[in-house]
Amino acid sequence: MTGARRFGTGVLGVGVLLGVLELVGRTGAAGDTWPPLSSVLSYGAGEPGRVILARATRATVAEAATGLLAGVLAGVAAAGLGLVVPWLRAGMSQLAVLLSTVPLIALGPVLVTTVGNERTPPVIAALGAGFAVFVAMSSAFSAPRTSLDDVFEVLGASRASTLARLRAPAAVPAFFDGLALAAPAALLGAVVGEWFGAPRGIGVLLVSSMQNFAVVQLWAAALCVSLVSLAAYGTLTGVRRASVRRFT
Amino acid sequence: MSGAVVDNGRPSRGTDAGHAAVELRGVVKEFPLSRRREPLRALDGVDLTIAHGEFVALLGPSGCGKSTVLRMIAGLEAPTAGSVEVAGGAPAALIERHRLGVAFQDAALLPWATAWDNVALPFRLAGRPVPEERVRALLETVGLEGFARARPKQLSGGMRQRISIARAMALEPDVLLLDEPFGALDAVTRRRLNLELGAVWARLRTTTVLVTHDVAEAVQLADRVVVMTGRPGALAHVEPVSAPRPRGEDFTRGHAFHEVVDRLVALLDDPSDGRR
Ligand SMILES: Nc1ncnc2c1ncn2[C@@H]1O[C@H](COP(=O)(O)OP(=O)(O)OP(=O)(O)O)[C@@H](O)[C@H]1O
Ligand SMILES: [Mg+2]
Repeated sequence: MTGARRFGTGVLGVGVLLGVLELVGRTGAAGDTWPPLSSVLSYGAGEPGRVILARATRATVAEAATGLLAGVLAGVAAAGLGLVVPWLRAGMSQLAVLLSTVPLIALGPVLVTTVGNERTPPVIAALGAGFAVFVAMSSAFSAPRTSLDDVFEVLGASRASTLARLRAPAAVPAFFDGLALAAPAALLGAVVGEWFGAPRGIGVLLVSSMQNFAVVQLWAAALCVSLVSLAAYGTLTGVRRASVRRFT
Repeated sequence: MSGAVVDNGRPSRGTDAGHAAVELRGVVKEFPLSRRREPLRALDGVDLTIAHGEFVALLGPSGCGKSTVLRMIAGLEAPTAGSVEVAGGAPAALIERHRLGVAFQDAALLPWATAWDNVALPFRLAGRPVPEERVRALLETVGLEGFARARPKQLSGGMRQRISIARAMALEPDVLLLDEPFGALDAVTRRRLNLELGAVWARLRTTTVLVTHDVAEAVQLADRVVVMTGRPGALAHVEPVSAPRPRGEDFTRGHAFHEVVDRLVALLDDPSDGRR
């Protein structure tokens, strides 16, 4: 009962918010860069808009997915390396923090000249995603010793089987934690990467809409990437919750 | 020496018949607290020799260092001074051969694995095939045959401890270390499991060190009951219990049993009396 009510309040809240957005757009209270929501939606559903948005979204999602995969692999591998070779751990987390403090947008020009404009979006996506996964996994791997570690030690477990049968399963919830943050980071990274002369994608669409003052298209593109990001985050949070139930 | 060496009337195990199963000599353990303060002395000169196939119970007030003694025998803690030998060598040598079994104060089970998989863990860590029949028999011994597929979260604290005891016994270790394994059990289940453990032990005669707060449990199960004093921990008294095995209800109801229990309880109440 309370679940249904909470859901009802949630829907109501979103409805009110959307109504306000629509109203502000209709009355032009915020100037002509704020279109009514209905015209953004009808642009997305209408003929040229749907095709343009779908093509751009597909391109961006593909780049983000490539970057996410590479970033997750690199993040897990780096955290795993820190676990196997402990004296590397401190240096690696410092390097990761250092990398993360570099604004990704500042890397754009550098990357365009090194890996090319087509590969810049997935690379920036990989950096953002990799950092999220690395931080989540290495904090899981450096969790304090428990009596389970003692049990494994007394039973004469090898390092490899301790890794496979204790560390890895124990880190599964943290992995999905990191992944739920990494997926939106990868999308953001891909969009930012596209600003530096990529051939297609949401980022390209954003830039060209801005330059051509296509306000409705600009909002539709932003809405599109936000929805994808939200969906990815929501799905992964669900997976994470299931993994917590399963692994703790 | 011939291979047929026998101590205390029991067949000795393995090739290390010339050594005691466990030998603590002048063991001191200090824990550093902080750079400024003096280290905490948890154990102050403990001497204890445990023969092969002997069952020793450790009694003592909370914080007197019982778990610390057990952890040092398990090789998890190194003595600050003195020496700890298990089967004539360092604990690590026994661990390497997968001949040590422990059940800690908290059950320490893998939360993602079923009861069955938790009991099978020692075989997997030793790189051996899991004998399904034996795992089932172990679960039956601790009365959990119906819970093989349950995960620790779905079991009570006492059930978890029983699984951890089954896991400790899985490889039929040379030395078995039990740290308050029945701590979370009700009196009735505890008594039933004590009888059960006594019966299993009478058959296997595994060298065992049991830490407990329950004096009756110690007297019922052990060949020798060691009473420790509080901070810093040291041995206050050693009580041999020579009653024959298996020790059933008739033993725990007998006069001699209660006389020993009462004396040890009094000693625990005022351990300074029995001090060296
Ligand atoms: N890792 C540690 N660091 C610092 N002090 C410790 C550590 N382990 C144990 N101690 C101290 O050593 C003393 C003995 O601890 P121990 O756990 O052996 O007691 P115990 O006899 O098992 O108590 P209980 O019956 O409550 O389990 C305690 O005073 C405790 O504070
Ligand atoms: Mg203890």
